[in-house]
Amino acid sequence: MSDNSINNLKQAITKLRTQFDNEDLDLDAKKTAYLGKKGSFNELSKEIKNVSNENKREAGKLLNELKQYLQKNLVDNSQQKTEWTDLTLPGIKQKKGHIHPISQAIEEISDIFQKIGFTRVRYPEVDWDFYAFEALNMPSDHPARDEWETFFVKTPQNKKMGKMVLTPHTSNGQVREMERLKSKPPIRMINVARCYRRQQDVTHTQMFHQFEGLVVDKGITIQHLKGTLDYFAEKFYGPGTKSRIRPFHFQFTEPSFEVDFSCHICKGTGLITDEHGDKNKCSFCKSGWHEVGGAGMVHPNVLKAGGIDPQEYTGFAFGWGVERTYTLKEGLNIDDIRYFYSGESRFLKQF
Amino acid sequence: MNILIPNKWLLEQLETTLKPEKIQEFVSLCGPSVERIYQRGNDEVYDIEITTNRVDSMSVRGIAREAAVILEQFDVPAKLVSQSLLKKDIPKPTDSTKTLQLPKIIDQKKLCRRTMCVVLRDVQRTATPKWMADRLSQIELNVHESAIDITNYVTHELGHPIHAFDYDQVMKLGGEINITEAKKGDEFTTLDGESYTCVGGEVVFKNPEGVIIDLPSIKGTSNTSINDSTKNILLWIEAIHPSKVRFASMTHAIRTVAAQLSEKGIDSHLAEPTLVKAVQLYQELCDVQIASEVYDDFSKEEKLATIIIDLKKIQDYLGISIEKSQVVSILEKLECQVNAVKNTLHVTPPSFRKDLTIPADIVEEIARIYGYHNLPSVLMPTRIPLNKPKDVNFEAEEKTKHFLADTGWFEIYSYSMVSEQLAKNSAYKIEEHLKLANSLTEDKVYLRRSLIPSLEEMIEKNPQEENLSVFELANVYHPRTDQLPLETLYLGMVSQKSLRKTKGDLSSLLQKFYITDFEVKQKTDENRGKILVGKIEIGKIWIDTLKGTGKKMTCIEIEMKALLPLIKTHPAYKALPKTASIKEQLTFTLPAKTQIGPVLQTIREIDGNIKQVTLDDVYQANHTFSIEYWNEKKNLSNELIKPLREKIVKTIEKDYSAKLVGKI
Repeated sequence: MSDNSINNLKQAITKLRTQFDNEDLDLDAKKTAYLGKKGSFNELSKEIKNVSNENKREAGKLLNELKQYLQKNLVDNSQQKTEWTDLTLPGIKQKKGHIHPISQAIEEISDIFQKIGFTRVRYPEVDWDFYAFEALNMPSDHPARDEWETFFVKTPQNKKMGKMVLTPHTSNGQVREMERLKSKPPIRMINVARCYRRQQDVTHTQMFHQFEGLVVDKGITIQHLKGTLDYFAEKFYGPGTKSRIRPFHFQFTEPSFEVDFSCHICKGTGLITDEHGDKNKCSFCKSGWHEVGGAGMVHPNVLKAGGIDPQEYTGFAFGWGVERTYTLKEGLNIDDIRYFYSGESRFLKQF
Repeated sequence: MNILIPNKWLLEQLETTLKPEKIQEFVSLCGPSVERIYQRGNDEVYDIEITTNRVDSMSVRGIAREAAVILEQFDVPAKLVSQSLLKKDIPKPTDSTKTLQLPKIIDQKKLCRRTMCVVLRDVQRTATPKWMADRLSQIELNVHESAIDITNYVTHELGHPIHAFDYDQVMKLGGEINITEAKKGDEFTTLDGESYTCVGGEVVFKNPEGVIIDLPSIKGTSNTSINDSTKNILLWIEAIHPSKVRFASMTHAIRTVAAQLSEKGIDSHLAEPTLVKAVQLYQELCDVQIASEVYDDFSKEEKLATIIIDLKKIQDYLGISIEKSQVVSILEKLECQVNAVKNTLHVTPPSFRKDLTIPADIVEEIARIYGYHNLPSVLMPTRIPLNKPKDVNFEAEEKTKHFLADTGWFEIYSYSMVSEQLAKNSAYKIEEHLKLANSLTEDKVYLRRSLIPSLEEMIEKNPQEENLSVFELANVYHPRTDQLPLETLYLGMVSQKSLRKTKGDLSSLLQKFYITDFEVKQKTDENRGKILVGKIEIGKIWIDTLKGTGKKMTCIEIEMKALLPLIKTHPAYKALPKTASIKEQLTFTLPAKTQIGPVLQTIREIDGNIKQVTLDDVYQANHTFSIEYWNEKKNLSNELIKPLREKIVKTIEKDYSAKLVGKI
């Protein structure tokens, strides 16, 4: 070390430490090799004489640190006693972020359906009237369209596809999925997406989320729809939850159903037994059931629009709101769904 | 649509001893949904949702008919009360001196499927009797006087709208009812005094001078409606094509009960009992005399098509087979005519069931009356599709959300539609955005092209949160000519943390996907940089200032389509090193505005034995870099490192006008 630079000493210290860390000797031998009279540390310490005067102080400090490091690591751990520590001190929390409740719901819903072979897909949120209505057996000016308070985009109409709309439901994915699969079943689709309607109050927002299931194959019956709904109810709301379907009407399904899930608070009875053993009306549901959304057997015209022969194939579809489905969970009685889109941190922090 | 049905009124049409709660339960399972039962006065009132295809159920009689069939399925004694309301039972005027001439009715274009009317004279203007007033209140209709309320009452009971003209006014205006289409610019004033101008094509009634004297199936006009001096009534029913009614009703936003019923296609056969029932009530309550014959033009009676259905179809949908006799029995109870030919049924629906047109409709009727609750519940044993969509990676999206949330970021869901101001806050001009044609509120008008302005707004909205970091994974919408907009999925991140901390989070996120490094390319005169992984641009980064407070925010935009192909699900494993690396620090004084990214890059590229270079510390212009040397074959000695160190110093001092702090 003819160079006066302290850097050389630093290099040597680093090298020694690396060597020490990688040395595979037993404790005593290692002690002798590094801290013995002629050990590596003493050898290295001699180099201090080559350090310039101005850097001597720093060199001493560095060597001291090295010695402490070596000593600390050459102690027999088996006899070492840990000093007393106050274990009642409060912990210091990591700053925690939050996954939005809608994401949590979507993830949970998708997982449930993916486990029984559904494929999650994504289709346009801004789509043609054709996919949102026409292909779903809803010709223009059909009164059934009134129920979807649709937003239109200010842009010229397409000759074949009609107006451009913000999708008022996820059902535009039905014919699109048939097209993606080149009209060849089997289809087991789950489409979760943003939807839009011209409405705004405590239970409606201009933007919301729906999920849509579509199953098409040979031999698909209403029993399979019931099986799928029961499976979902049980997984999402907990064991014992049942589903039921009742007659309804949608243009794109025939027969059509309204889907209810049994209330997990009163177990579908509509009655709650209080601490005195008295039976009271369940305040959480309507006579034991929650109405969640629509379903049905795919209308032959919709299968045809997707290039599938309704003589050969049948299918079912269901679709309902993510927010509504999620807030029916116990303890999630959110009175104003606008909070979901408010970015209000006191709301988000709870999830 | 919902309809209110008082229980006592229902029981006039339906014979049963069942309690309202049970009626509610059973009817809801197999028919219309009875959503609620209200206690009103001394009666229970059902609130029933009727689907748009079942306008035949939009009356007391209609519900009674449905309930009778359904309740029988539950083995409950229930029967529809038989009814005989025939026009032949309306007495002809006997005293010829008291006969009033019917107006001349013209329907050249055959716009009405059916037209019925009769003149009633000497109407006594009496108060609506209590029993009727109570029922009208229970169904939330206003109570006026008998002469007016009778029409509303019979419409609710039987389901067909009916109109009462002031007979003398019609005669005074020319004694002619010309059923025709309005011309553009024609005007009319409804009975409540509102004036409208026609767009052309609305079906209207005109007098010989072309004055509009009624907006049929929607609302009466003031020039012919009943007023205080009305003495004689022309009781009138017509059936116009549903799409024509809907057109006029929607065009002028006149959404009366009559319009909502008529636009859905009411059975014209209902006209007769409705007219007869109304005449009976006018006789009873207003002491009228029949002053004309009953006019009835039903020359355009529709016949519903016969539906041919294979019994196998029912099994295809239900998964079980139902006895042919049971199928036929259900359909006949629903008043269908059924001809069974071996395993095929020829089903002709009753005139009030226009919704039954295809075999699937017949399947629905059988299934619902059989009871969906009686069908088994099983998961499908069919093939599971394996053809997954390309261009999406939901796992990666979920992983991103989880990682950021775990590192302290708040996930946001903000609206896809933004205000003019937020649209302008993006990198695009306002006219480069898609705009809604019928926006509901001013803050949601444009389809956004960037997530960042929405996220910045969220930070602004939460001043109580220090160092808030928010992100959102959502689409933006780039307009394209004659096509749907390009919907591009972005990860938007905005943080009040320091730039280095924010970039560090991005770094860690990318590492989660085994993307070990990225760089930011920034022009010295710009406050915005491109985020590159290798040569691929995956997004942008810049600094914005928070309105009001002047606090800085780091904004990052990652285009998922660019990122997804780079994502790996597992690392490329390298054997553990057998040689030791050596770390040392070098400190340089750098001129102001020196970009550090390229400095690191330069050092890294100097020699293959330089494994890693990081920025350890910055103090004023002094930047301390930590450099790790490593060779996979041998342990590097000081002698080997020395020339590398010298080269680093020389290069950095030269390329960046830097000065080494200390000596080597």
